[in-house]
Amino acid sequence: MEAQKEAQRIMTMSVWKMYHSRMQRGGLRLHRSLQLSLVMRSARELYLSSKVETEETELSFAAAPLNLPQPMTAAEAGAEVDSPQAIEEAIPAPEPMETQDARETEPAPACSHLPPVTFATLPQLSMKANRKRRSCTLGQGRDAGLIPSKKARLEEETVPAEGKAEVEAGDLGRRPSQVEEGPFPSLARVLQKRFSGILNNTGGPPKPTAPPSCELKPGCRQADNMINILVRTVVAF
Amino acid sequence: MGEDADTRKINHSFLRDHSYVTEADIISTVEFNHTGELLATGDKGGRVVIFQREPESKNEPHSQGEYNVYSTFQSHEPEFDYLKSLEIEEKINKIKWLPQQNAAHSLLSTNDKTIKLWKVTERDKRPEGYNLKDEEGKLKDLSTVTSLQVPVLKPMDLMVEVSPRRIFANGHTYHINSISVNSDCETYMSADDLRINLWHLAITDRSFNIVDIKPANMEDLTEVITASEFHPHHCNLFVYSSSKGSLRLCDMRASALCDKHSKLFEEPEDPSNRSFFSEIISSVSDVKFSHSGRFMLTRDYLTVKVWDLNMETKPIETYQVHDYLRSKLCSLYENDCIFDKFECAWNGSDSVIMTGAYNNFFRMFDRNTKRDVTLEASRESSKPRAILKPRRVCVGGKRRKDDISVDSLDFTKKILHTAWHPAENIIAIAATNNLYIFQDKVNSEMH
Repeated sequence: MEAQKEAQRIMTMSVWKMYHSRMQRGGLRLHRSLQLSLVMRSARELYLSSKVETEETELSFAAAPLNLPQPMTAAEAGAEVDSPQAIEEAIPAPEPMETQDARETEPAPACSHLPPVTFATLPQLSMKANRKRRSCTLGQGRDAGLIPSKKARLEEETVPAEGKAEVEAGDLGRRPSQVEEGPFPSLARVLQKRFSGILNNTGGPPKPTAPPSCELKPGCRQADNMINILVRTVVAF
Repeated sequence: MGEDADTRKINHSFLRDHSYVTEADIISTVEFNHTGELLATGDKGGRVVIFQREPESKNEPHSQGEYNVYSTFQSHEPEFDYLKSLEIEEKINKIKWLPQQNAAHSLLSTNDKTIKLWKVTERDKRPEGYNLKDEEGKLKDLSTVTSLQVPVLKPMDLMVEVSPRRIFANGHTYHINSISVNSDCETYMSADDLRINLWHLAITDRSFNIVDIKPANMEDLTEVITASEFHPHHCNLFVYSSSKGSLRLCDMRASALCDKHSKLFEEPEDPSNRSFFSEIISSVSDVKFSHSGRFMLTRDYLTVKVWDLNMETKPIETYQVHDYLRSKLCSLYENDCIFDKFECAWNGSDSVIMTGAYNNFFRMFDRNTKRDVTLEASRESSKPRAILKPRRVCVGGKRRKDDISVDSLDFTKKILHTAWHPAENIIAIAATNNLYIFQDKVNSEMH
């Protein structure tokens, strides 16, 4: 049980770090993404193996997926195979410099697996196959996402700006701006608003990936709340 | 003399500090040139600062060999990749000096995407006595010119001029992590996460790809290139390290594309040390050939290892840098410290190796005596010409006075970048935004 909790905690942390690494200056770091995905895979394996051992734990998770802070739990309750793979596949982050954009088609079948889709709409999963310039295949809505919009950014930048000193006002190429134009545009907007709302309430984003400050526990706990809200939001859809 | 064989007597003869608090001033690389006369540092703001060692003077024996600022210039600026909507950081990842071939000094500096060749020249004379121009450069009234004179060179205050001679751009899709100048002094290589390119120093519009580990399907990606270096003497050999902890020695004579290594250096993992984070901590963050070319030094998160080029199965020496962190890997993962990339360095005679750690500590290991020492780079504990006191991290058990416990280590103070003078016992330590230069009072006879 302890091992399972620890594994969950590490998985949550990893996912959060992956998301946060998108917002860093200089773009996604391939090595970092790879390391995060390796840790998450190890944690997931441990989680799955300890889950198999404790049947009753599995049931209680399945019964109340929303109460659990970790996205993977609902995934386990649902189709175990698809969702972790969906994240796992995309995590190696094929082209770190790829334009960040939501997947065109794939999130649709996965949408029943709620928490992963939350992150599927986040551009970290979007880079898998399409290396072509997106503008030629996308509609107007997505084009708007490709062209960084300062207005959208200011809204989203409340997310990292409070926590990261290095984010600059003119910082373009932000992932959340394309979240908006994913397959669930209104979902993404809700997420953004929730993010800003939560952060304003809690007084700052989690800091796990702010390099200058090595803070420990507080960052992790806030991430849990964040993902909790995300899960609820997606379920509402 | 080394009266106390247990401790290295180090004379802290010079302390330079940049003492700003902005992130742009965080030093990101440190490199001595081939003679040790010049020391270059790069920072996160894209600037390069070159220090020059003052010649020793008999009049002031205490100020012998101090390093003073020689030149400062902006090497890289932040850029924006419009196609990918990504900002390119101006942080200087690596600086490498070219061997000096004339009066000028040249160095290569690189950020994530672009490598630049800079030429550093001195001007200490200027011509005076022009016929047509006066001292300020204004044209003279020709009627006042009654005779011709030959302009002569007169001494002037030293001016150091730095100019970009070559810009090697668009060679890399991923982030450049290392550059290395070949011993042939004509070519150099640059490595990113998945590829290594070979450039000619005079040609900027072309480079040859010599290593490509990108899988056909990115989902199959399991390792990336973390560091690379040319052999110091054999211009056909180079090594690159991977995130899985292996080293590959490649021979450029074997084929144009060196995807197949000539030698693979890998140590099997100790199963008793397995954890969530085993893969992360086995990633090699730095690799350096010894000056002799016989050995390689690698740094992973917890250890430094010396490898013999003739033995691929395991390193010949392994030194624990801060093994007390092994039980704290989860916390270090939380605060991102587990991703820190420490560098390592050889001394001139390849008998001592050095690497950084946390709490502004750095460690030195003497390969011959098997002694090691932990020293601290901080203003509080070092005054000019003071002798550095060895530090100890206590891990439970008996605690001596002045020991630091593991829990009170400051993980925000990390020494990632260190450099050792090629011949003398002078070391440069970058501690966040401060540069420390330590000098051994007793020269070469110690090692």
